[in-house]
Amino acid sequence: MQDIQYVGEHLLPGQVGQAAIVASFVASLFAGVSYFFATQRRDSSEYQAWRNMGRWGFLVHGLSVFTIIGVIFYLMVNQYYEYQYVQAHVSEDLPFKYIFSAFWEGQEGSFLLWMFWHVILGMVLMATARKWEAPTLTVLSFIQLFIASMLLGIYVGFGDSPARIGSNPLMLLREVVDAPIFAKADYAAQLTGSGLNPLLQNYWMTIHPPTLFLGFASTSIPFCYAIAGLWKKEHKAWLQPALRWALFSGAILGTGILMGGAWAYEALSFGGYWAWDPVENMSLVPWLILIAGIHTNLIARSTGHSVRSTYIYYLLTFVFIVYSTFLTRSGVLGDTSVHAFTEMGLEWQLVGFIVFSLLLSGILLGVRFRGIPSPQKEEATASKEFWMFIGTLVLLFSALIITASTSLPVYNKVAQYFNPGFEGHVITDPEPHYNKYQLWIAVFIGILSGLAQYLRYREVNFQKYASRFGLHTGIALVATAALTYLTTLWIDAKAWQFLVLLFCGIFTIVTNLDYLITFIRGNLKMAGSAFSHIGFGIMIVGILASGLNKRIISNNPFVMDGLIEGASREELARNILLFKNSPLIMGPYEVTYTNDTVDTFTRTFTVNYKRKDEKGNVVEEFDLHPNILYDKSFTKISASNPSTKRYWDRDIFTHIASLPQVEIDMDYRRQREDSLNYRVLEAPIGRPVELKDTVQLKNVDTSVVKTYILTVGRINRTPTHPDYKPEEGDIAIGATIKVERQDEDSIYMVNPVLVLRGQLLYSYPEQINELNAKVRLNEGIFDAVLSPETNLDYQPFTFKQGDKIEYKGYQIQFAGFNRNPEHPNYVPREDDIAVSAMISVLAPNGESYVAQPVYLIRDNRPFNLKDEIPGPGLHFRFTGIDPSTETIELQVAQSDKKTEAIPIELATNSLRSDYIVLEAIEFPGINLFWLGSTLMMIGLAVSMGRRIGQGVKV
Amino acid sequence: MKKIYIVAILMIVAAIALLTTAADDMSTYATFAQASHSGGRVKIAGQLSKDKEMYYDPAEDPNYFSFYIKDTEGEERKVVLLSEKPQDFELSEQVVLTGQMKGEEFVATDLLMKCPSKYKDEEVYIKSEGK
Repeated sequence: MQDIQYVGEHLLPGQVGQAAIVASFVASLFAGVSYFFATQRRDSSEYQAWRNMGRWGFLVHGLSVFTIIGVIFYLMVNQYYEYQYVQAHVSEDLPFKYIFSAFWEGQEGSFLLWMFWHVILGMVLMATARKWEAPTLTVLSFIQLFIASMLLGIYVGFGDSPARIGSNPLMLLREVVDAPIFAKADYAAQLTGSGLNPLLQNYWMTIHPPTLFLGFASTSIPFCYAIAGLWKKEHKAWLQPALRWALFSGAILGTGILMGGAWAYEALSFGGYWAWDPVENMSLVPWLILIAGIHTNLIARSTGHSVRSTYIYYLLTFVFIVYSTFLTRSGVLGDTSVHAFTEMGLEWQLVGFIVFSLLLSGILLGVRFRGIPSPQKEEATASKEFWMFIGTLVLLFSALIITASTSLPVYNKVAQYFNPGFEGHVITDPEPHYNKYQLWIAVFIGILSGLAQYLRYREVNFQKYASRFGLHTGIALVATAALTYLTTLWIDAKAWQFLVLLFCGIFTIVTNLDYLITFIRGNLKMAGSAFSHIGFGIMIVGILASGLNKRIISNNPFVMDGLIEGASREELARNILLFKNSPLIMGPYEVTYTNDTVDTFTRTFTVNYKRKDEKGNVVEEFDLHPNILYDKSFTKISASNPSTKRYWDRDIFTHIASLPQVEIDMDYRRQREDSLNYRVLEAPIGRPVELKDTVQLKNVDTSVVKTYILTVGRINRTPTHPDYKPEEGDIAIGATIKVERQDEDSIYMVNPVLVLRGQLLYSYPEQINELNAKVRLNEGIFDAVLSPETNLDYQPFTFKQGDKIEYKGYQIQFAGFNRNPEHPNYVPREDDIAVSAMISVLAPNGESYVAQPVYLIRDNRPFNLKDEIPGPGLHFRFTGIDPSTETIELQVAQSDKKTEAIPIELATNSLRSDYIVLEAIEFPGINLFWLGSTLMMIGLAVSMGRRIGQGVKV
Repeated sequence: MKKIYIVAILMIVAAIALLTTAADDMSTYATFAQASHSGGRVKIAGQLSKDKEMYYDPAEDPNYFSFYIKDTEGEERKVVLLSEKPQDFELSEQVVLTGQMKGEEFVATDLLMKCPSKYKDEEVYIKSEGK
């Protein structure tokens, strides 16, 4: 293959990008080393020179990262599929707005996103960190070195299996996979993209990853400061800038995590916002430790206690970010997570990254530990710092037990390494497992974040203060008890443990509100912590309301009962079958599937909800519009998007769980259509015909005979059918057919259509879902209804307006002209001169008919379009106008045979297809969850704003 | 002794207590034989038998989907999943089920699918004819 001269490849941008990858790696190393010496020689004259070299190194590194990103975007926008990364994430039909999503869908793209934020944050540090610039950027540069190595894609070592370092996003497809197509020199033109996973084609995919990665990247900054503090033995000075960054990071990372929850809830059909999935857990764990760090940082700034724990927390936060990266990207989670990346051969590199961050933190902390100042005197038991510190231990504890459970696949891997026979352990049901433990964590946090607000830092004389503390606590307890009682009237706490949690959540809200009003007197600058803690309390209430009281209202009444011991029916039956236009009672609603529309690949369903009072009056009505996305071949559903009705106090969440197979897979539908057993019936107009159908009963050795009665009503030469789009020149026939089945009371009217277009026949059958039957017209209908033109013996007549003639017993009158003629086969064009003759006919039996043949001059040539009256078989052609005498020439003929029996076809094994399988869940109080969690982030942001304001004077 | 140490010791005790109870939440991947024997709720990992019938007729019951898998011992059993048929189910090779044996059938309430890699077939990235 090496000998082939490929054509049509775009190699230049790839080479530029490859150079930038190497440059970003080398430049980060250069920056790291330069900044290292700048830090070491801070007080010497060499400092400036080293620092400037570091700056240049970091800027070149940043520029290289931007170049790599720019190159990949360029390749993606131009759809150069010869590049593997482009082929895997872009396709022709990918809307441009999803180009960012496609970029960070893959591992390499998300590493680049992470690096991108590090570069931005590094530049902010360069501009603002002053004396901290050199040490923090040393650390950041080395972190970048590790991440940059993930993109190198170079082989080191010898022999048959050299180790690969990194996964390069700019590899050509032919370098990655081996396929016969690469034997062709012009293969590039034949490639097409796989595109972005339809589940990810969503605006959340555009905003969630950048926010989360900014959160990830920003945890590096407190880490850098912690290392810098230890390194330079400035154990106090680093605390203030680190706090600002930690607050920033806490707010952004928290928002990123929440966006993931909002995405899962709003756009995916998970039916919830948090599922204790390993990927979710491992983004939460660093956040918890970071929050613990923020608290000890506050203690340290106010009292001088807890400097050591602040170091530990910030260092651990970053170590856990790296560990989380390892878990989600190494493939080790495998079958325990729905959304982990697959293996990419980066495991050992990621392990190296963990070891680096752990060793750097551990060794430096160990060497400096004794030197870190810590007051000899212990914290007073009644002081704020003591209980805050306990709170941080609870947070750490929470983080560690989540990590312990989530890391189960890692222990399994390690154990299997030493003992290949080891059988891995798994958590049978993760959600209850995590909830069980985290419940008590939340209880402690609730109590502590309430009580600690009433306490003071460095309390020396609690005796004097005790009465005030007691008063506030007492009032808060009473108020909480009352509020908890009121809340239980609305939501069911279900078990005492949850009642305790509810109480603690409300306690936090009450105490922090009190703190906000009476202690800091509404000073919003100081209100950050109160906001966050109130938010935490509200969030707990929201979790209890929406989680415990979540109700699946789409219960299926037909599900087998008692299939699993202990499981309620509610748990078993999630989905309900909803037939079109037949309402069903679901919870408080009468639900009707009324309509569906298809727009390219998206099919949107309209589901109507009505709530009625006792008298049956509709008191509330709304429509929900869940939709599904077909894949490009219309053979499967690639995404099902829910639709949610939001009230202030609850949500009604619905999504399409499934559809009839014939509506999912159009290939199957065709197959099914071909397998239908149509039987032909000759039905004279107006006279009923019978068809007896023998049905084998399922699982029984008997069969029943069902009798169908069909009556052809009217034959229609200008038929309509939902699927039929008329074209000029079509010969279309429709028939109105009345269908009954003897064991059913209903009468069904259907209008199947048959169309002859050129040489092709198009059949538009009609389905009667209630009878599982399908009716269509037999092609013999053309012979039965239409008479071949050659068999007709036209007789010419000349008419003046109002003239009447007699033809074979029929009174034929020319009533006048119609200058805007309507005719099934006539599509008006500009410059047409068209007119129709209004012909009224009176038959010998007294029936009257109307015909409208058309005379037309198009492109200076005369045409005529005939009209016919099917019953008596009269045919009319309007062949000329004489303007001088104001007469028209009309040709009249009667077909010799009367319309006889109409051949129609009936199939009785057609499956019903007019239903949807719907899941509907009611989430009470879910807005409390969003409100509370958002308030937590706002609180962090408010605190950050205040700290930045303070920082200016330093 | 510092109060903080007392708190720390209490937490370690709590952690040990939690770890012992957490063992109940864990299990190994079972085989059908083990699942029948224990009768409890287990996780089973198995290979989807693509030649056997997959049955889902929502018109009959939208919460009943049945198929066959082979467990790690090679034993093949019918599985009933009490929900809709997941999208792309035919494409998956390995599945992980949570549930318990009921007579001869394994009744599952939870399913996780593992799909083969995206780049397996050449046809994925070559333009189809006539496009």
